[in-house]
Amino acid sequence: MSANALEKGVVFNIQKYSVHDGPGIRTIVFLKGCPLRCRWCSNPESQRAAPDIAWNHTLCIGCQSCVQVCPQHALSLDSQGLHKDHAHCIGCAACVHICPAAAMFRYGGESCVGDILDDVEKDSLFYARSGGGLTLSGGEPLFQPQFALALLREAQERHIHRAMESCACCPEETFLAAAELLNYLLVDVKSLNAEKHQAFTGQSNERILSNIQKVRQAFPDLKLHLRTPVIPGFNDTEKEIAAIAGFARDVGAHVYELLPYHKMGESKYRFLGKDYPMGDAALDETSFSSLQALAGRILPSSLERRE
Amino acid sequence: MSCCCALSPQEKILQDKAAGKDNPNRSKHERLFDILETFDGMAPIIDADRALLFTQSMKETEGQPLELRWAKALMNIARHIPVHIDYRQLLAGRCGTTGRYGILYPELDGDFMADALDALAEAKTAAPISVSPDVAAKVRHEITPYWKGKTFHEDLNRSLPPEVHRLAYNDELGIKTRFVVSENASYRSSQQWVLDYAKVIDRGFAGIKADAQARLDALDPLSPMDTLKKRPFLEAVIITCDAIVVWAHRHAELARSMASEEKDPVRREELLQIAERCERVPEFPARNFREAVQAQWFAQMFSRLEQRTGTIISNGRMDQYFYRLYKQDIESGAITDDEVLEMLDCMWVGMAQFTDISLSPGGLATQEGYAHWEAVTIGGQTRDGKDATNELSYLILKSRQASPMPYPDLATRIHSRSPQRFLWEIAETIKVGQGYPKLFNDEEIIPLHLAKGAPLGDIFDYTASGCAEIRMPNRDTMTSSCGQVNLGAALEMVLRNGRMKKYGEELIGLETGDPRTFTCWEDFWQAYLRQLDHLLAASYVEQCVIHHTRARHFAGPLASCLHDLCMASCMDLHTDEKIPGGIDLGFVDIIGFATLVDSLSAVKKCVYEEHSVGMDELLRALDDDFEGHEALRLRLTRAPKFGNNDMYADSIGLAVDRAAQEYCHKYAPETGLHIDIRTVSVTANVPHGKEVGALPCGRKAWMPFSDGSSPAQGADLKGPTQSIISNYNTKNWDYNERAARLLNIKFSPKCLEGDAGTEKLVSFIRVFCDLKLWHLQFNVINRDTLLAAQADPKRYRNLIIRIAGYSAYFTELSRDLQNDLISRTEQTSI
Repeated sequence: MSANALEKGVVFNIQKYSVHDGPGIRTIVFLKGCPLRCRWCSNPESQRAAPDIAWNHTLCIGCQSCVQVCPQHALSLDSQGLHKDHAHCIGCAACVHICPAAAMFRYGGESCVGDILDDVEKDSLFYARSGGGLTLSGGEPLFQPQFALALLREAQERHIHRAMESCACCPEETFLAAAELLNYLLVDVKSLNAEKHQAFTGQSNERILSNIQKVRQAFPDLKLHLRTPVIPGFNDTEKEIAAIAGFARDVGAHVYELLPYHKMGESKYRFLGKDYPMGDAALDETSFSSLQALAGRILPSSLERRE
Repeated sequence: MSCCCALSPQEKILQDKAAGKDNPNRSKHERLFDILETFDGMAPIIDADRALLFTQSMKETEGQPLELRWAKALMNIARHIPVHIDYRQLLAGRCGTTGRYGILYPELDGDFMADALDALAEAKTAAPISVSPDVAAKVRHEITPYWKGKTFHEDLNRSLPPEVHRLAYNDELGIKTRFVVSENASYRSSQQWVLDYAKVIDRGFAGIKADAQARLDALDPLSPMDTLKKRPFLEAVIITCDAIVVWAHRHAELARSMASEEKDPVRREELLQIAERCERVPEFPARNFREAVQAQWFAQMFSRLEQRTGTIISNGRMDQYFYRLYKQDIESGAITDDEVLEMLDCMWVGMAQFTDISLSPGGLATQEGYAHWEAVTIGGQTRDGKDATNELSYLILKSRQASPMPYPDLATRIHSRSPQRFLWEIAETIKVGQGYPKLFNDEEIIPLHLAKGAPLGDIFDYTASGCAEIRMPNRDTMTSSCGQVNLGAALEMVLRNGRMKKYGEELIGLETGDPRTFTCWEDFWQAYLRQLDHLLAASYVEQCVIHHTRARHFAGPLASCLHDLCMASCMDLHTDEKIPGGIDLGFVDIIGFATLVDSLSAVKKCVYEEHSVGMDELLRALDDDFEGHEALRLRLTRAPKFGNNDMYADSIGLAVDRAAQEYCHKYAPETGLHIDIRTVSVTANVPHGKEVGALPCGRKAWMPFSDGSSPAQGADLKGPTQSIISNYNTKNWDYNERAARLLNIKFSPKCLEGDAGTEKLVSFIRVFCDLKLWHLQFNVINRDTLLAAQADPKRYRNLIIRIAGYSAYFTELSRDLQNDLISRTEQTSI
């Protein structure tokens, strides 16, 4: 086995038959850990680099097995729900193993590149017929740079088409090293306003924008797909979207797409024992359509929003 | 935001309808919609005319050769059954009263028909049937008294050995099915069948009659066999050819007399044209496309008057046998594509009115929702192995996209060189969300049948017939319908030492020992194999008795005269003797495949490998239907499951399939029949489930099993790609004892959206073809729509859903089956 194949990292999901992230029928490998803390994040389980133990109240049958097995006595379960003493939890996952209902579960586990690619390769017929392949996502895949690059190299060895969804918030050399191994790159551009970006994501956008420009210069043939999640109260204005679409046009993106804000990640916050930061915020459908029309005027190659 | 709930076109139309908007397809299909409105939502009416006329003739011909009696009965029907030409219809010919209707076949169930009709009239089911007091009285006084003691099912009931009888029936009379080793021969005189329509169109019945006459003239008057066997067969053919022509001519007369009274000049002209067509076909070869459609329709309808082919007289390869005249008329300008569509619409709406009504409880339970499968087949390859797709294939797809009815079912043959345009149009039709077309894979079916002994040209020319089966119209010769083995029962009998929860202490299977004494997985597996073989053996015995008993009760001179081999040998298709040159293909259905595999996987993993569940504990939990054992049940459900491309479960599935095929490989040859393993449940997964208590996969007592060869309800968590690869993983490619395998996949409309969605569905279909799976069908619907339809059935009366090889109106299904359909996983993507 090659050195690539033995490289290990933390993955929290492998999603087959993905049809919205890159060409063809794809398998998405979600890597754990992210430098950003976007308030609207729909994958809160992706944020920490280490595995998270979570609890799904809808599956719990109240058997108390987890409480009894915990070596740290860090759990208690009553009519209010499960209480966890985070200070005492050592992440041993004894509660996960004992739970008959899979109500206690773990987001993320360590696995090696070879095993992951074996799983990805199970759909090689579908890739061959549809032009699909592997998509790395996260979290931020390059938050585990060695691991992510090893995954891409191994996929290349196995002749699997490679795409990556990234926030581009990483050292330039890492970003370029990944780009060299990619056939298709998807990057989110959330705002051109550096302060606002800092306030809503915890990081400035400077490195992100510069990485996108560098990649475009270094790899002019690499398919670049830029996306903007349209978030109420953050960037759902004509000014913001016009600026980002202008950036996408100038940098020479092949595809630009607006993604409507959705709340599908909300339950995962609950599973992790966290509050949902966006509250009841909602995106107005008409204004989204007009923003989309605006993007279309600036960049004729913009994708129509998928219903 | 509505970003997570895209609607299929069908759902959109239903929503618009509720908002008072017209169906957007209406303007192009006025005639179809106008005719549909005359019977939409109507409960089928039972019409007893066919049964009365059939009975009347059979009374008069006792003692004569059976095929001759059948032909005379057909002539009696042809002469006297009321004929109709429907409002706005361009096609003439129906088997019963106007509106939605069903007819009776007393040769099958005449002995209990009167009681069954009384029960049907009172039954409160999702699919009600209307029986008038007059019809009920006629059946009670004129039909039932004659048939008592003479029906096929009574003969079968007497002929089955007692040890097989008690696996098949719950009562002495053999009316109430026990779904352990059930049969369905007693409510159909033939397994699905397809006529050689090309012969009807290209030669006409005058030509077939002339052929029979020539053979009759050439008989050796000194040969006793010629006199005893061939003569009556040929005479029956001649009478039948005359009968269908008499029937057609009566329609011509009716059309002319209606025309003379018709005030609307347009309709008058239509009626005169109908009259002209009925005078010409099916007696003589069709000269144009319209005549060809009328000829086909007469043959199809007359075959329904002849016999009950278990709901199915298939339409064969319509884009092939109509193509010559279609092309001729298009090129000469005699017809336009819109007029072709209108003729096809007229045929579809005619099919939609005929409902095949089973009077037996077994038939009602296994084919819910007035199931009928007149599958129209398109695409595939020509007899010489070239792609067969043509302009008519596309027109037929188009016409089915616009139709708001589940009938006819549409079957598309796919092969490795199917044009991209064809797959694209198929994908677009699937996306409409009405459950068709179903896909048949030439890359599996053709080589497999070569191994079963089919000639190349014949198998290249196969047609879909039934829900997932195929036929070679001039090569297939076995019409016996086939049995079903309950896999869940086999497993339950391992766990209960030959007994079943439902039947208490009655010993049903073999005593394979107390499972608590088994020391390892191998012991358990061996016990399962013994139970399985016991049930398969009973099914084989049942099959052989059925095959030989049927020949004493049924004849089919119409079906036979359209079959090259029957004509060559002068033998009726229903004979139990070997028809020279024929291939006898039959099957035993195994019901509950994934439910069984998941249960075996749970036992192997939890009891014998991880030791997380004790056998004693398991038995108690199953006996309690998991009440008070929820944690245990959940632990069992976490064992690997079929449908996720997980070799732990899939290798068990492979072994299950292999074991069944090995039995057939060993014992089929002595029967002289190919009785192979089919994995198609139709709706039998519901009644078979009702026989069996809780199972180790976590399924509760009496709940439906998994359907066909699909993963169990909610078990396929890794998406559609893994689900179809699992199907591939569990096929024994080195055995040819496999028959049809039905696979259902449900998609949410969201993941097939737009051109990108269509493109990915096309790729998915290509992979299905690469994997050489037999059959695949799709439901493209939101789960919420199904729940809404349950809550408000009136509003969703026209919601069509895929079941198993056929589509039906969702609200006409039983609650059990509705729930089963809802619980099958909906594949989405993130």
